[in-house]
Amino acid sequence: MSAFLRMFRTALRQLLGGKGGLIVSLLLAALPTLVTFVETRNAAPSRAVAVFHDAPIGILFIIVLPAVSLVFGSSALGDERRDQTLSFLLLRPQPRAVISGAKLLAAWTLSFLVVGGAAAAAATVVGIRSGDWSVLGPIVLAMAISTLAYTSVFLLLGYVTKWAVLAGLAYAFIWESGISFAVSGLSTISLFRIGFSSYAAQVDIPRSLRDFLGTLQPGAGGAAAKAIVIAGIAVLVAANLLRHRDIT
Amino acid sequence: MTTDSPAWVAAATVEVNGISKWFGQKVAVSDVSCSFGPGITGLLGPNGAGKTTLLRMVCGLLTPSDGSVSVLGQNPRRRPQVYRSLALVPEETALYGFQTARQFVNYSAALSKVDVARVDDAIASVNLEDAADRPLSGYSKGMRQRAKVAAALVTGAEVLVLDEPLNGTDPVQRSHLIDIFRRLAAAGHTVIVSSHVLAEVERMADRVLAIVDGKLAAAGDVSAIRRAMLDTPYRVRIEAGDPRRLASALLQSEAVEAASLAGRALHVETSDLVQLGRVLPPLARDLDLSLTLFEPEDLSLESVFRYLVRRR
Repeated sequence: MSAFLRMFRTALRQLLGGKGGLIVSLLLAALPTLVTFVETRNAAPSRAVAVFHDAPIGILFIIVLPAVSLVFGSSALGDERRDQTLSFLLLRPQPRAVISGAKLLAAWTLSFLVVGGAAAAAATVVGIRSGDWSVLGPIVLAMAISTLAYTSVFLLLGYVTKWAVLAGLAYAFIWESGISFAVSGLSTISLFRIGFSSYAAQVDIPRSLRDFLGTLQPGAGGAAAKAIVIAGIAVLVAANLLRHRDIT
Repeated sequence: MTTDSPAWVAAATVEVNGISKWFGQKVAVSDVSCSFGPGITGLLGPNGAGKTTLLRMVCGLLTPSDGSVSVLGQNPRRRPQVYRSLALVPEETALYGFQTARQFVNYSAALSKVDVARVDDAIASVNLEDAADRPLSGYSKGMRQRAKVAAALVTGAEVLVLDEPLNGTDPVQRSHLIDIFRRLAAAGHTVIVSSHVLAEVERMADRVLAIVDGKLAAAGDVSAIRRAMLDTPYRVRIEAGDPRRLASALLQSEAVEAASLAGRALHVETSDLVQLGRVLPPLARDLDLSLTLFEPEDLSLESVFRYLVRRR
């Protein structure tokens, strides 16, 4: 097994060891499915997709996605620093980008499993109620793209500050859910909208949701490319920080 | 400092040139120059002296604020490949609690690009075979230390940096670890061991660098350091019926170098504690004074180190 895979596997175990964060993530992840289940129960089957496009999709993109990504993303390097195991990794003849890459992959894998799972479960409720499964694939893909963008940013945040959770929450709820909504020109640099633009390109969404995009154009390929570029930059910046920052 | 000073060795594998490190206003290491070569070098100093900071700079975990470090001719901060030849046993826990010792040592071997077949030997060398498949989170401090030593040994590194490796170990484990370090030194490895306990360093190191307040206070073989320490004047607090008369008698006896009075207490300085202990009782008897207290005030290793720094 390569060093990268060993680091990835160990990072997964380390992230799963943070029981508090894991429980909060799973509870949050249950929320969209629960809301979808309750709201579609009293709606006509033909309205199930519209119901999903009301509160559940908002909860997914604005609450579950950033919060879960924050839990795993900020812990990926943050836990190593807190547990003082970072020196163990850095004193190895391994390129620093391999270390940061393995960490990001582990954080993204878990974030995507939880958030993608939550999205798939909610979309499955819609499918069962209405027989319309058209949202399942696009919403899971959107979550894959957005979790990659979020965990990349939160990976760096978790390394540079021990207040990463607070800073991440402030970012998610003040910038992403506040400022970038108020100023539509800023939507191009909003992380959740990267995945949302992919979803909007594949599913016929109501006008109210389309307004979420601001000046951003729908498109799955562009969204995926943007998330991959963000991840690549995060890996390189983290590698550079690992190379130059003091490990006290 | 010139390279013919005792702080330098001929066949150096690690060189430290005028290195300093400050964190904001606090100077942790100040202008230290020295080198390390094959064999065991003890880095001796009280807690907070700057030993860990110096070792972390040697390992490339901290960037020097000034000066430079080279390990086998390379700057570890710039070239991770040097970690094929450099291993650290850090003072802090630095373990993954969810791993077993075997997984931890195996992980160390795999990331260091060495044959994982060495893992069992490394575990056996620190006597952890029976506990090797238990999670590290359940280990005692001494066992954790041994697991970290095994993880360093498995890399087969030419330069081993051990930061307080004997902390938390019992006397049997300590002897065993010292034997391991000696064997490595005999095999030509450069072993740098930090400790704040002189007796520990004395047992394993041929050469000692004493560091105090971030500065190199003394360097040389263990006997030279010990001699320097024996030169240290001791301060003793004595309480007796008439301290003024006792002070005058003691100063005449040449057992003390200086004396001062503070209330009922007499503070004396002596370079020979044993002689003072021998002279004092008959003197008090002759003066018909009753001694109520005889207490060395300043016998900590830290005070000895500070004396060494002042003397430089």
